[in-house]
Amino acid sequence: MRSTYRVIMFLQTAGAYAILIFFAYLMLFPFLFMFSTSLKDQTDTFRYPPRLIPQEQTTVSVPGYDGLKPLYYALVGDEKRPYALVETNIQAGVFANPNNPEVTITHPLSDVQPTGGADSQQTVTFNGEETKLWDVTVEGVTTPMVQLSQTVLGRFVDPENPSLQVLQNVRLSEPVEKPTIRPENYSEVTTLNGLDRSLTNTTLITIAVVTGQLITSVLGGYALARLRFPGRDQLFVVYLGTIMIPFVVLITPLYQLMVLIGWVDKLAALIIPWIFTAYGTFLMRQFFITIPKEIEEAALIDGASRLQILWKIFIPASVPALATLATFTFLYAWNSFFWPLVIINTGNRANHVLTLSLSILRGKAADNANLVMAGAAIAVLPPMIVYILAQRFFVESATSSGVKG
Amino acid sequence: MFRKSLWPILTLVIIASMLISACAKTTEEPKPTEPQTPPTQPPAADVTLRWRTRPDNQAEIDVYQKASDAIDAKMEGVKLVYEPGGSESSSYQDVLKTEIAAGTAPDVFWIPGTDIADFASRGLIMNLNDMAAGFDINAFYPAPMAHLTHNIDTGKEGAGSGALWGLPRDVSTFVLYLNLDLIAEAGAPDPRELAKEGKWDWDAFLDVAKKVRALGTDIYGYGANAWWGPYGVWLNAAGGGFFNADRTACGLDTDASIEGLTFQRSLYVDNDVAVPYGEDSEPPFMTGRVAMFQNGRWGTPGIRANAKFNWDAVELPKGPNGHMGNWLFWGAYVVNAKTQNPEKAWALLQQLTMAETQGMISELGTNIPSRVSDEAIAKFLTFTPPANNQAYINGLKDNVTAEGPLWAGSWPEFDAVMGPAIQAVLTGQKTIDEFKASICAEANKVFKK
Amino acid sequence: MPSAALLKTADSRTSLLLRILAIWHIILSMAALAGIALIWAIAPQAVWLKIVISIVLALVGIGSGITAVWIQKRQHRGRMLSLIINYLGFLFCLLYGMQVLGVFLGIDAMAGTFGRGIIFLGGVLLGYLISAFGDRYDNYPARQKVFRQIGKIVILISLAAFLLAVGLLQGLWALILQFNNPTPYFLLVGLILFSIMIWAMWRNPTAEAMKAGNVHEEMLSGLLFLSPNLLGFLLFFAGPLLFSFYVGFTNFDATTGNRDWVGLQNYAKLFNLSIVQLDAPDQPVTEALDVQVYDELTRFNVLGSSFIIGAEDKLFWLALRNTITFCILALPLSIIPALLLANLLNSKLPGMKFFRAIYFLPSIAAVVGVALIWQWLYNAAVGYINFAISSSVNLLNGIFSLVMADPQIRWLSDTRTALLAVVIMSAWQWIGFNTVLFLAGLQNIPGELYEAATVDGAGKWAKFWNVTIPLLAPTTFFVVTTAVINALQLFEQVYVLIPTEPPGGPNNSTLSLVLYLYQKGFQRFQQGYASSVAWVLFIVIFGITLLQYWRNRAGGSNY
Repeated sequence: MRSTYRVIMFLQTAGAYAILIFFAYLMLFPFLFMFSTSLKDQTDTFRYPPRLIPQEQTTVSVPGYDGLKPLYYALVGDEKRPYALVETNIQAGVFANPNNPEVTITHPLSDVQPTGGADSQQTVTFNGEETKLWDVTVEGVTTPMVQLSQTVLGRFVDPENPSLQVLQNVRLSEPVEKPTIRPENYSEVTTLNGLDRSLTNTTLITIAVVTGQLITSVLGGYALARLRFPGRDQLFVVYLGTIMIPFVVLITPLYQLMVLIGWVDKLAALIIPWIFTAYGTFLMRQFFITIPKEIEEAALIDGASRLQILWKIFIPASVPALATLATFTFLYAWNSFFWPLVIINTGNRANHVLTLSLSILRGKAADNANLVMAGAAIAVLPPMIVYILAQRFFVESATSSGVKG
Repeated sequence: MFRKSLWPILTLVIIASMLISACAKTTEEPKPTEPQTPPTQPPAADVTLRWRTRPDNQAEIDVYQKASDAIDAKMEGVKLVYEPGGSESSSYQDVLKTEIAAGTAPDVFWIPGTDIADFASRGLIMNLNDMAAGFDINAFYPAPMAHLTHNIDTGKEGAGSGALWGLPRDVSTFVLYLNLDLIAEAGAPDPRELAKEGKWDWDAFLDVAKKVRALGTDIYGYGANAWWGPYGVWLNAAGGGFFNADRTACGLDTDASIEGLTFQRSLYVDNDVAVPYGEDSEPPFMTGRVAMFQNGRWGTPGIRANAKFNWDAVELPKGPNGHMGNWLFWGAYVVNAKTQNPEKAWALLQQLTMAETQGMISELGTNIPSRVSDEAIAKFLTFTPPANNQAYINGLKDNVTAEGPLWAGSWPEFDAVMGPAIQAVLTGQKTIDEFKASICAEANKVFKK
Repeated sequence: MPSAALLKTADSRTSLLLRILAIWHIILSMAALAGIALIWAIAPQAVWLKIVISIVLALVGIGSGITAVWIQKRQHRGRMLSLIINYLGFLFCLLYGMQVLGVFLGIDAMAGTFGRGIIFLGGVLLGYLISAFGDRYDNYPARQKVFRQIGKIVILISLAAFLLAVGLLQGLWALILQFNNPTPYFLLVGLILFSIMIWAMWRNPTAEAMKAGNVHEEMLSGLLFLSPNLLGFLLFFAGPLLFSFYVGFTNFDATTGNRDWVGLQNYAKLFNLSIVQLDAPDQPVTEALDVQVYDELTRFNVLGSSFIIGAEDKLFWLALRNTITFCILALPLSIIPALLLANLLNSKLPGMKFFRAIYFLPSIAAVVGVALIWQWLYNAAVGYINFAISSSVNLLNGIFSLVMADPQIRWLSDTRTALLAVVIMSAWQWIGFNTVLFLAGLQNIPGELYEAATVDGAGKWAKFWNVTIPLLAPTTFFVVTTAVINALQLFEQVYVLIPTEPPGGPNNSTLSLVLYLYQKGFQRFQQGYASSVAWVLFIVIFGITLLQYWRNRAGGSNY
């Protein structure tokens, strides 16, 4: 009885872990894919079936041939051997015995002779048509055959002994590969596509927005939480009501405002409007209201100014709330795309932010998955690092808001 | 007391100094567009002109920059600033319109031919007619010039119409880029040979495509990208087109247009030889899985850089009435209606379209000079690969339709109606009959009554 | 000990200052009114802008006049109003001066040099860490002091180096060079005047003369502290919101600048539908509808008769349909797994924090980055998703000797799957976020309830249904409404993931409302029309928010 209970418990736990691990894999896989692809060679990104470990085709120098030649697995007898491709586009025909057209062999055209000589080539009736016959010699055995179609082959030789050779289809040959990583993708994508400048811009904007928003939110939150003035409660309700207003309603008029003050295509447009938010003020107000009034009153009696009280008492007490707001704002500023797309998407590449450069990169490097993924990694990594350092506050910011996602 | 307030003060000082240091470079590299900075420089200084084109890669940017510097050295009293616009994928025209809306657009810019009408009728670009007295417009391909001299009020076109909206930068046309290895492996006939013998028609094309398709499930005979250019040529080749003859109504439901569309649908649906419509055909072509990739001259640099197989170009196959029906793609340099220096901008426009400048740029391989001259063509033929540059010139000669602005209506809106409908046909979701029944009712709404 | 004589001189000085203040406010009032006249007489701005400026100036003018009267009567509200007006004036001169001097635009230049200085910011951080390290030696004040000192020096030096590196000196020089026309001087004078007036009103003797008390001091501090946020909020939020509402009633075209009042025309066009009964299900649209106005939206059958719906703005309805479909699909896909995972995570097994951390990871990544990754996962030829499908199909075929065909889904270019692709990606990104919300909700459920249920002999499922689900209802409601609000604003996912030009393809199957708004407003620049689309969306979202609010209140009382 007790042991069956244990078995059931164990199975339940195992099941729970299985589900958890499955989802963890699901959540992590796209990122794994991103990192692996960002280290691949371009050809490798188009291999099917896809693989996570970056690999490149091996090349080798072959005596008697110039330069490095790519290695493929060639079928020698029944054995697969690494052979080097030294010549392509060898004209070949697909031949079959007219009596047994199911079995075909592919043979170079230079190596077949007209049956009965060039002047009096024999023919045979094949599929109801008069068809020429050719002498095809395979392993010393010569058979008259009909040519079904034409194709090309490649010449593969043993790199150690170039006289050993095999003719086979190049496209279907399996390349010999070795794991290699290409970290150059990162430098290529940053320098060639201006991602370094975008990274600086995004960093600057994020620092400015987070700092600015913390300052205005702390000041405003303190005023709303602690200082009585006419209209305060009504204002608070207005602030509360506007938290949910979607940004899309504002995008047209805000754009017009930026046109009016000449901030279109300027980084100022990405910073200044975003340092005043109802949400941050609301969050700080909610936190400040929980701080006991007694400490503050004692300080007031000692003659401290409001700013000193805020600086000496409230801010030290509300580090978790500040960190929560900072992470939230950080994510918002770092990841924002719609507003930069509207306001910065002009000819001035110097003012592009990371998300914007990435969306342009998508089009420009449509067939370079490795570069695109390197770009994506550059955009995704900094929030991840911050997340690992300050996980608690990210979770806080999610549970305390759930608002602007 | 000092200690207590040190940090807030320090913070303020930092913010203030950061803001101040913010001004650092604004005067070192004066940007002419800043609306706040009034032109305080003495009038003797050079006038700054900004101009822009849409390059696709760094090599092109470098060439344009070189051209800009060369012209800068030639023009008196003008300082040129070349700005590479966004690439094709970053919606060049939208960006430009944003800047025009914000008043920060450059003085001279390039726009695709289809957008001329939209920009001109909104009053965003300048009519250069008065300044261009005595200018020989016949030096350029006539079809683009007809559109560029369209008079909005009278509808007249050509010399003496009273309108000149810009000068063409270059022209381009579709070819089929060939993966010769795949075609050889499939044992299909070489399209270049067929074209020389005059046998390169729709049947021959379909035959090659089918043979290549038989090589494997992920190997395609034909590929084209999903926009109006690639599907339009099949309609043109059948004798149809997007519009009626005088471009005042939809022509998509005429028998000829439908014939062209039906053949193209067969490539995608019935015969299944093409990269599925809507999938980007360029990556599979570059990685050697498409035998015939339809694209313009602008695709050449990318293929030169990336293709690891034998490739060349061939003209489009001839349609049922014996003609190709290619597009003549073009784009023009135009002058911003709000420019401060119209005369200088017009001078720049002429410089930019001079034979010399055009030669410099077409050497890169991206485009074909817009001036009609045997010399220019002879030179163009030497810019290989592809070896068969003649394919482009052949495309320009036979029954070519100029990519055109829609003066009688809104081209972007027409495209917005046509694109999804054609997509539905080519992906097999709509039958040809359904398409024919409703398309023009919807599309005719974009024409001004 | 202040002597009587001193008090008297102070008094006379105060009354002199108050007289100056009163005169200043009268001048200000007249200047404001004159400004209105000037604006309408010569300034080239647009009419709406003139109206806004006039209203502001009129308020200043009237307020300033009243202030003068109140100052004369020595009423405290006069001091308040005077301080507010002068503060606003001060801010205006400061900000406008910064704008004229190019300080805001200079941020661009700073971004250019910022890269050079960023390493010195690291030095600042290092200095801070050094001084924070000193805090470990709480018991050795001397050692702590040394660390603090070193930290401070490091901070100051790196700060100076940073400022030099980003071009402080050039910046100062550039700033001085900007003083080449009268505007900055004019603003500088204004700045000084307003500061003097603020000082004159703020100083203690004046405050006493105006009968200011502690309450008033608190009021002023409150307004002062809130002012940065409130002014920014008004300028960048409330103002644009009202403007947007107005623009929705115009045919505003941003490229040409035309802005004519068209009343409800935009909204009428959006909602103009026509339902017609058809004679036959396949009757051509040209016969059924007035095709000059309507485009065919859809056809349907009810009780044997066929109907056709036409819409004047077909794309709006398609966008609405897609957005709603997206909501309906993405919601369960991101919420049900989240509920399951939250319940698993809520068990006391080891390692739960680790799993929670992993699940949350996607929601912090930029949508643009995520969409680029998924674009390649969805790749029809070499993507992992199709690879996984083919492998499973092959596996199943092998095991059960079936002949299922490999579907080879062209995720992003097939009309039927493109939206689904967006749904799956979004759900993937939202699951972790929802899980964390649910987990927080679960942790709020008191354990006694479960114990009581166990005593009653309830099984796991019974507990889940009878305890967890009802008590989690407020959280669930919050999660659902939040998700709906996010889903209604679908834009970035489609814009980046779906590689069609224009975005929203194939065949408009992923055109969302916000994307439609973007196309209208920022590709065609019909910003009047775009604003009305925005307001339709806003009203829907606001309705959901109200529901949330109302539900919160109702839920609060019985929970």
